[in-house]
Amino acid sequence: MSATKKSTAKKTITILHLYPEELNIYGDRGNIITLTKRLEWRGYAVELIRAGVGDKVDIKSADIIFGGGGQDRGQIAVGQDLQRHAKALHAAAKDGVPMLTICGTYQLFGRGFTTLEGLQIPGIELFQARTIGSTQRMIGNVSIETPFGRLEGFENHSGRTLLEEGQEAFGSVIRGFGNDGTSGKEGAVFHNVYGTYLHGPVLPKNPAFADALILAALKRKYGISQLEPLDDTAELAASETAMMRPQ
Amino acid sequence: MPVFLTVLIAKSLLNLSRLIGRGGGSALPGLVAEKLDPQIGSKLAKRIPHGSIIVTGTNGKTTTSKMLARVLTDSGEHLVANRAGSNLSRGVVSALIEHISVSGRYNDTMGLFEVDEAAMPAVASMVQPRAIVVLNLFRDQLDRYGELDTTAGLIGRGIAATQAQLYLNADDPLVASLASYATNPDHVSYFGIDDVPTTKLSHDVTADSNTCPECGRALIYSKSFFGHIGHYRCPKGHIKRPQTAVSADKITLNDRSASFTVQVEDEQHQAKIFLPGLYNIYNALAATAVSNGIGISVDSTLESLSHVQAAFGRVEVISVGSKRLYLLLVKNPTGFNQVIHTFLLKNKQQNVLFIINDNFADGRDISWLWDVAFEELTAQHHTIDVSGIRATDMTLRLKYADIPVRATNDKVGQALNQFIDQLPENGTGYIVPTYTAMLDARKKLGRKVKLSGVWE
Repeated sequence: MSATKKSTAKKTITILHLYPEELNIYGDRGNIITLTKRLEWRGYAVELIRAGVGDKVDIKSADIIFGGGGQDRGQIAVGQDLQRHAKALHAAAKDGVPMLTICGTYQLFGRGFTTLEGLQIPGIELFQARTIGSTQRMIGNVSIETPFGRLEGFENHSGRTLLEEGQEAFGSVIRGFGNDGTSGKEGAVFHNVYGTYLHGPVLPKNPAFADALILAALKRKYGISQLEPLDDTAELAASETAMMRPQ
Repeated sequence: MPVFLTVLIAKSLLNLSRLIGRGGGSALPGLVAEKLDPQIGSKLAKRIPHGSIIVTGTNGKTTTSKMLARVLTDSGEHLVANRAGSNLSRGVVSALIEHISVSGRYNDTMGLFEVDEAAMPAVASMVQPRAIVVLNLFRDQLDRYGELDTTAGLIGRGIAATQAQLYLNADDPLVASLASYATNPDHVSYFGIDDVPTTKLSHDVTADSNTCPECGRALIYSKSFFGHIGHYRCPKGHIKRPQTAVSADKITLNDRSASFTVQVEDEQHQAKIFLPGLYNIYNALAATAVSNGIGISVDSTLESLSHVQAAFGRVEVISVGSKRLYLLLVKNPTGFNQVIHTFLLKNKQQNVLFIINDNFADGRDISWLWDVAFEELTAQHHTIDVSGIRATDMTLRLKYADIPVRATNDKVGQALNQFIDQLPENGTGYIVPTYTAMLDARKKLGRKVKLSGVWE
């Protein structure tokens, strides 16, 4: 291995996976695999920290933060626990730390979730958005237009997320339901913090989005301004298949 | 409408649809009968002399029903049973109609129904079974059912509508928690495995319900077998693995069979089944628990179980000339991990064809592929082809496990031909399809060789 490779191999990105045990049933860990591999293929080392309910976590040590979707049961426990980290997560967001939150975690990064039964699960209010339970389950293939191009995914939620005035959406719905099935908006953005309903998982088939998160982390930590390109033939082929499937 | 008239009309429909050869006509007569008389199912089920048994849960319904059918038949019962796959309300009603005589009587003695989780509220209250067995609950087609807890709630509603004796898997926390739905808490018993010889796959992350149903905290496991199956307790003391009435221990496994001891009350019995994998031991325990409950001796149950073959498509071996093909159905991450554990870690170099579809019956969301422990195969040197509607997704998943793919071809017929052609003489190939891919692959293989199994 060349000397330059050796020195880049020392550069480490720390990924913090929030509540991997409690919120884990929709294949969202594929996003962690994707971030990890795309960093490793470029010669960086990855350290993965998994933090569950009650665990001690140093949010400041994280270069990328991820949280996935789960069941209501997991979400209730997580909603309470997440409050411990609210302040640190706000500080990290303002500091430009890239975060990806899917479905359940996305909802809890807003003002909170009111279930159909009227139960209030508090959020940490990074997004100016509120989620309410509905009787309609919004399920199917979904495509959205975003600053990173057209993204393909699969959505499966009954919560309807309503963005408040001034809260920027992540993308606009090309087909599917998005945040609430009516507004045409999908997800939310605040600095480098992204919330979305896209499972699939979202990152493997949408490498431009994955690389944007990676670049934001490398820029913030090491001042790196450009990523070495990768061969994304397989990624784009899968994206194309998804695009052709009915909603 | 009088019962006999509904039966007569539905029976004629059944014969007609058979005559024109529409796949045995398994659901249509039931559908029509229920339209004519919404209560027809419960009216007919009541007439089965020895009552009925319901088998439900995510994985193993068909195999467990097959096991129970063998045990019950060997003990002299004659069964009214629905066909595998026809496990919704109309499939059960169709079976009830098919078996009843025009005079309105059953010559059969007992009902045995495998029931889809989502159909439990309707079917359980219709059939009023004497026993319900719940095997396991894994995420499976979340796109169809919503959440796993929702699925559990549906089964619970079914249970609560009956007076049935419950047989629950002690090692699955969500299944064990279904006891709370029992109308009589004395009518609950558990089966489970004491210990296993295998270690859990290091990349197994399929713990779908590994949190406490009461408080949502992650459960603590003293033993972890696969997925969320094992010996667990809530850190706050809300739940723990219940005491078992029927349990297995001293397990030895290979890719064709499993040997183990079965403990019932204070007695130990030796068992051998010609079905591979831990999951089939659970199926055998479920069958043993039920048949023991209705008074069949453990030894004769185990004797019957030793004659059971795998349910069609689950594990099937097909010969094409000198070449041997395994057909291994996968439906969800837990089942896929079992296939990897049991079949794909045998040798360094095996030939494998994955066929992944995303039709309704497969589950339209293929996100679950990312929760399968493909990283177990990274150190192997398998030759892997990929096919099916979502072939490109599968190839991508393998890429991120650092596993190269020889050929990606969404056309199943072409992929199968190439895969078989490139197998060495006397070689073995492992075909791993999702549900509709399995039906498709089987149809195409049927043009090459005579297949023994029929889809019923």
